[in-house]
Amino acid sequence: MSATLTSGKGVRPPGTADTAAPRVRRSSPLRRRRSIAAWGMAAPFMVLFLVFTAWPVLSSLFMSVTDIKSRDLQNPFAVDFVGLENFSTVLSDPLFQKAAFNTLYFVVVGVPLTILVALAIALALNTGITKLSGFFRVGYYMPVVTSIVAVAVVWRFLLQPENGLINEVLGWFGIQGPDWLGSTTWAMPSLIMMSVWRSLGTLVVIFLAGLQSVPKALHEASALDGANAWQRLRNITLPTLRPTMLFAGVITGIGFLQFFEEPFVMTQGGPLNSTLSVAYLIYNTFGFGNYGVAAAMSYVLFAAVVLLTVINFKVLGERDDAAGPRRRWFRRAGGAS
Amino acid sequence: MRRTARISVAALAVTTLALTACGRGDDTATEDATAAAVDTSELSGNVTVWAMGTEGEALGEFAEAFTEENPDVTIDVTAVPWDAAHDKIATAIAADEVPDVSMIGTTWMGEFATSGGLDPTPPDLIDESTFFPGAWGSTEVGGTSYAVPWYVETRVLYVDTALAEQAGVSPTPATWDDLLATSKGMQTAGAQWGISLQAGQTGAWQTFLPFAWQAGAEIMNSDQTEFTFDSPEFVKALTFYQSFFNEGVAPKELPEGTLEPDFVAGKIGAFQSGPWHIGILDETGGEGFVDTVTLAPLPADEKQASFIGGSNLAVFKSAENRDAAWAFVQWLSEPEVQADWYAQTSDLPAVQSAWESGDLASDERLAVFGEQMTTAQAPPAIPTWEQIANVIDTELEKVCKTGMDPQEAATAIQQQAESIGTGL
Repeated sequence: MSATLTSGKGVRPPGTADTAAPRVRRSSPLRRRRSIAAWGMAAPFMVLFLVFTAWPVLSSLFMSVTDIKSRDLQNPFAVDFVGLENFSTVLSDPLFQKAAFNTLYFVVVGVPLTILVALAIALALNTGITKLSGFFRVGYYMPVVTSIVAVAVVWRFLLQPENGLINEVLGWFGIQGPDWLGSTTWAMPSLIMMSVWRSLGTLVVIFLAGLQSVPKALHEASALDGANAWQRLRNITLPTLRPTMLFAGVITGIGFLQFFEEPFVMTQGGPLNSTLSVAYLIYNTFGFGNYGVAAAMSYVLFAAVVLLTVINFKVLGERDDAAGPRRRWFRRAGGAS
Repeated sequence: MRRTARISVAALAVTTLALTACGRGDDTATEDATAAAVDTSELSGNVTVWAMGTEGEALGEFAEAFTEENPDVTIDVTAVPWDAAHDKIATAIAADEVPDVSMIGTTWMGEFATSGGLDPTPPDLIDESTFFPGAWGSTEVGGTSYAVPWYVETRVLYVDTALAEQAGVSPTPATWDDLLATSKGMQTAGAQWGISLQAGQTGAWQTFLPFAWQAGAEIMNSDQTEFTFDSPEFVKALTFYQSFFNEGVAPKELPEGTLEPDFVAGKIGAFQSGPWHIGILDETGGEGFVDTVTLAPLPADEKQASFIGGSNLAVFKSAENRDAAWAFVQWLSEPEVQADWYAQTSDLPAVQSAWESGDLASDERLAVFGEQMTTAQAPPAIPTWEQIANVIDTELEKVCKTGMDPQEAATAIQQQAESIGTGL
């Protein structure tokens, strides 16, 4: 069989025929033609991917282990290999540590807060509010499609210390509001508040979709068994929403770790670097022309994104061992009645 | 399996090759800094020019006067937005696809000159002595000039005349003590803040450095090899600057966009800024408001000093039409042309003799800028300057807002500047 198939091109030495048999079959004219066609089909994507994704990723990896700076623009290969020195510079830089702490603060407070608020709104829209629900949906989604620059101007007005709306309202209750964006304590909470408001809309839509998959029958049955609203939420709605929660957690986590626009337009990282995020520091470092160090920082941030995603999957993800934990959850619900 | 193994071996080989291939040569860009002569006798061809902002819009039409004199030359101006300009020029140098001439912000000079993209200024064509010394200083990187100053701006003091009169203090403080007295006086006369000085954040160094220079501090030693932030003069300036905040004369936080309305409303007695504020104040306070404002040169301590900014014109090393490019740059720095350019755009001329005629000579307010220009200084044109300026902004903010010890701040700036290096 192999003899007929190889008849076209060069004859192999007899000794190798046996070991080469599978390879010969693989390069049959038909297969070859097919694989050429396949590569042809895939080529447009492959070319775009290699040029615009793989190449930049590889070159940034290359940059992160060299001492490349802006003066090396004309001959980027004439730089010195410095190994992991950039990474140790980054990790021991107090400014980077500060930025990492700020980013962590933002993520740890911001992500759960966004998910909770979005979930509450989605539940309210799904069950409670039937009238005007379209209006509310539009209202909550609006911030997502609004330009951050326009939003920033409005929020700066709201947060103004003397005649901003927020402090005005606080004043009615006799509370002297702080200088939100000018205080090292309150600048970050202000930005978290704004980001939660901005990213709420997407999650509300996702949760609303997820809520459609919660079986009505279960709710009715457990209501008959005497489960109150809270018990039904905990034991029926939340477990069913688990995959949706995972998705929400992952995309919000990734988005929040790359926290950049808010400090960029609102505080420029101030006051006293209290809102400087890692992404903002990377932007600045690239701006200063320290491409090597900035690339190393980007990889540290990338590692953090991967880590957070893994944690998300561990905490919220579907367990592989059958529907074990989930079923138990249901059973426990039954037991509670 | 075998295929993947083969691919990984290949990848490894390529990477090793790439890594062994790299490594710095010994020649730095600043070394071969001898300028070749320019032959301006027969000019022809096309000169492409990049310019930013208002300059980019106005230059095309303005250059027609040059092409009338040199009919064989065409000037092709591309307007580049300021936001994109830095990256566009950097990319152009990297790809070696440069225009002939570009406008360059003064603080970018160090970076672009050391990248080897700019052509050293031919001394036989351009006469250094016709420019303000501060402006010329901004073109020099490692002792060689890589551009020609085009227009300049400098900082002076804007004082509310009525408030100063009411308080019985001089609106033109001559010394540091006078400045403090004027600010305090205006505050007692009813202003919420005696003076507004930027307390940190982006660009605060431009407000602070004049004080340092006035105290006699220098940022680097004369041959630009070492930083000298850790000097008693620098600490003295920091201490003086801090006193405005410690004594509650200047606001630690001034929400963005409130300076002008507050100044117009008499809540702020004085501030330090550049020529553009004449227009802004007229816009905020109504036509003619500026007449109620006194423009004063910055006070002196050991000496007079201010900050000089503006833009330079540089010719690229790989310019296709080098002779005509330099001729065009030279033409733009002729005194009459500079005066015409001022009439067109209100850009203050970098050439001293352009100030001797017309509006520039007769306008009182402009005269203050002209006078200040003679003592204005530029930060060192080193590639790492933006990064060091950012360090100054951060430490200055700590000094103003948290009461950090000025000596400590100076030491911190010095240490960080040393670890950043000059980049030359």
